[in-house]
Amino acid sequence: MTKQHATQLDTASLTEDDTEKTKTPEERQGFLPIETNAFDRCFISVVIWVAMSLFWFRFLEPMGLSIWISNAIALALAVFIVRKG
Amino acid sequence: MQSNKLGWILLAPTLVILFFFGVLPFLYVVFVSFHQWNPFAASPEMIFNGAENFRRIVFDSAFLNSLGVTVAFVIFAVLSELVIGYLLAQAFMREFPGKSIFRTIHTLPLIMAPIIVGSVWKLMTTPSIGIIPHYLDEWFGITMNIGTSAPAAFLTIVIMDIWHWTPLVTLTLIAALVSLPRDPFEQAQIDGANKAQTFWHITLPMITPALVATVFIRLMDALRTVDEVWMLTGGGPGSSTRFLGVHIFKEVFPKTNYGYGSTISVIVLYLTIVVCWLLYVSMLAPRKNRKG
Repeated sequence: MTKQHATQLDTASLTEDDTEKTKTPEERQGFLPIETNAFDRCFISVVIWVAMSLFWFRFLEPMGLSIWISNAIALALAVFIVRKG
Repeated sequence: MQSNKLGWILLAPTLVILFFFGVLPFLYVVFVSFHQWNPFAASPEMIFNGAENFRRIVFDSAFLNSLGVTVAFVIFAVLSELVIGYLLAQAFMREFPGKSIFRTIHTLPLIMAPIIVGSVWKLMTTPSIGIIPHYLDEWFGITMNIGTSAPAAFLTIVIMDIWHWTPLVTLTLIAALVSLPRDPFEQAQIDGANKAQTFWHITLPMITPALVATVFIRLMDALRTVDEVWMLTGGGPGSSTRFLGVHIFKEVFPKTNYGYGSTISVIVLYLTIVVCWLLYVSMLAPRKNRKG
């Protein structure tokens, strides 16, 4: 086998390998309107958690509601988003 | 497998640099944001105070004022830069005498450091010696003093930012416009589409990725503007141009309040990420194909 042939074969096998890796998984039918992976859903959960905590500090904590209630709601929401989003 | 290994080896230097100069400082700022820390005070040690800084920030009127001013600045500056940048990019797509000279001159503000831009604009806007107040007074009878008038100071900063950063938008959009295929435009012309229809239905959708990338860059930059503003107005008069970056600077350096300053930095980073993410989701993120 010539060197040129070997190179071509190498390239071919790499291309097949790459194609295999980039195959998209079956689309999720979660409730979020955009295509997401696990990292995206974790990110969305963290964003909601921070926003909810700041809102809680400003408006609900002065009324006597502990921040832990917000954390519990945010955690439940995070689990729901990660699993069903 | 071999290609993966090679990829990681090639990426390693960048990842190491990114970890030490990006990830590690970020984690440290997050860590500090949960502490009360004034290293130059009588008790310089770091004291953990939980979410107390975050509890304080939502009631801090100085911070909320800075946030409002910054949001107004970002909206005015970035939108104006996009519109003017697009119009200039369209102009540069045509041939006219002196085009290359004009393009070079137009790009010059980009190579200036923000602190220099602030100094130059300070010279130009200082009453009694500045060229802008002089001619405003001579031609229109308008007295301009950015040291005493809050709207004048804010407007000057917006105009300065537009002057400084519009060339970046123009260059990015020229690159996007040059790379567009000619076929859809010719087809639209044959179908009798007017200029507005061509813009809304062909040009705009096709340059959206470049437009969003430009907005990302400008948005992130505008949210952390410090040096130009610091040089020009120092955040004044009063706190009318005290943008978030200036507010953090004042909190961390003159007051040496590192803990609370870190908290504000974390919140600004959070806002930046959320705004950019919302923009990405609304403009570019792939939608799910729902059946029925």
